[in-house]
Amino acid sequence: MLSCRNMEYSVGDFTLRDFSLELERGDYCALLGPSGSGKTVILELIAGLRPLKKGSVFIEGKDHTLTPPQHRPVGLLFQDYALFPHMSVYENIAYPLNIRGINKIEVWETVRTFAAELDISKHLNRMPGTLSGGEKQRVALARTLVIHPLVLLLDEPMSALDAPLRENSVALLNNVSAKGITILHVTHDPSEVCTLANRRISIVP
Amino acid sequence: MHYGKNYTSIRLIFLFLSGVMLLFIVAPLLGLFFSTSVPGLFETFKDREVTSSIGLSLGVSALFTILAGVFALPLAYIMARKEFRGKAIVQGLIDIPIVLPHSAAGIAVLGFISRDSALGKFADILGFNLVGSPFAIGVAMAFVSVPFLINAARDGFQAVPERLEQAARSLGASPFRVFRQISLPLAKPSVITGLVMMFARGMSEFGAVVIVAYHPMTTPVLIFDRFNSYGLDYARPVAVLFIIICILVFIALRLLGRKRKET
Repeated sequence: MLSCRNMEYSVGDFTLRDFSLELERGDYCALLGPSGSGKTVILELIAGLRPLKKGSVFIEGKDHTLTPPQHRPVGLLFQDYALFPHMSVYENIAYPLNIRGINKIEVWETVRTFAAELDISKHLNRMPGTLSGGEKQRVALARTLVIHPLVLLLDEPMSALDAPLRENSVALLNNVSAKGITILHVTHDPSEVCTLANRRISIVP
Repeated sequence: MHYGKNYTSIRLIFLFLSGVMLLFIVAPLLGLFFSTSVPGLFETFKDREVTSSIGLSLGVSALFTILAGVFALPLAYIMARKEFRGKAIVQGLIDIPIVLPHSAAGIAVLGFISRDSALGKFADILGFNLVGSPFAIGVAMAFVSVPFLINAARDGFQAVPERLEQAARSLGASPFRVFRQISLPLAKPSVITGLVMMFARGMSEFGAVVIVAYHPMTTPVLIFDRFNSYGLDYARPVAVLFIIICILVFIALRLLGRKRKET
């Protein structure tokens, strides 16, 4: 499903050498490693936000090594959620749908469906700056899921959340995983993914 | 106790020096305003030569600010986002018009548009003489004022987190769409400030404009012409009128700056 072969990349003092990864459809894989080990860089390489020096990225058997990020069937949930501060919650979630030229009624219905599923319907008119950490995570997740990515990349999704919110977040990610989406979850905290991941990969700096 | 006394004296010295500085800025302007009669000002406002010069200054500056923006914003974005060899040299080039004497800038622009230049020859073939035209005025205005736009926009783009642009890319946006829908709206207050600064600086330009086009007269050139030909009393009302317009633009700039802070 997701096949990363012999990936190589270097930036500044950091070098990634010969990194490979094979995930099946529906896998929930935890990518564990300390800060500075290059976990986020791996996600950005898979998402196409950084160009590979060597190696390849295959998704569903198709070579996406040179595919620009906007054309990869990948969703990336950023550590700080990266919500657009000048757009409302509704506009944030509708953003990827509008890019794809979907008509307004369909956009509205899709946003309402995902907002209801992620329990953020009442926040649709709010601006991201007024949301709590947990609410921001749900909005960012909704924005990523509306494009139906084949692979969902999660970059330390719980690092900005307090302990009670983390439990909610685990339940939320469990629900997403149950839909059969292949998930690669980057974290430095193994306890975060103990009930979520069916696969674990550790990287060292 | 000793500390408190020392602090008070320093505060008094600072207040005095600040007061002198403010007076230095305000006194000549107040003197100008008080020595101009209101009826005289209204007479000047009715003077067609004055109003057409104001129209020319504002119109040409506004047009060339918008035109320059088409080229300046992509450059500002590149300067904010990309690291490349020679970036410091490019930044130096952008700042050159700020440090040049404006008359020298005018001479440089004149060389660029004169009949001997490639652009001048091309215009000549089409039947235009660029020297002494509103085009020449616009080029001179833009040359000395465009660094204000580029630098303000660059700061604005730099303040936009790159993460947001990456998020938009990963959601399916092309690089141009990211620029149009994410980077530009988020940098908008700085870009508007830059545009207003460029416009204000351009319309008040004298040194470079007077060399490339004495006629048609922009207001700064008209003020100089009246002062030179008829004396201070004749030039003063035009100067007051133009200062009022400049202050209105300046107030607009400050209001936009305040809005930016609130955002």
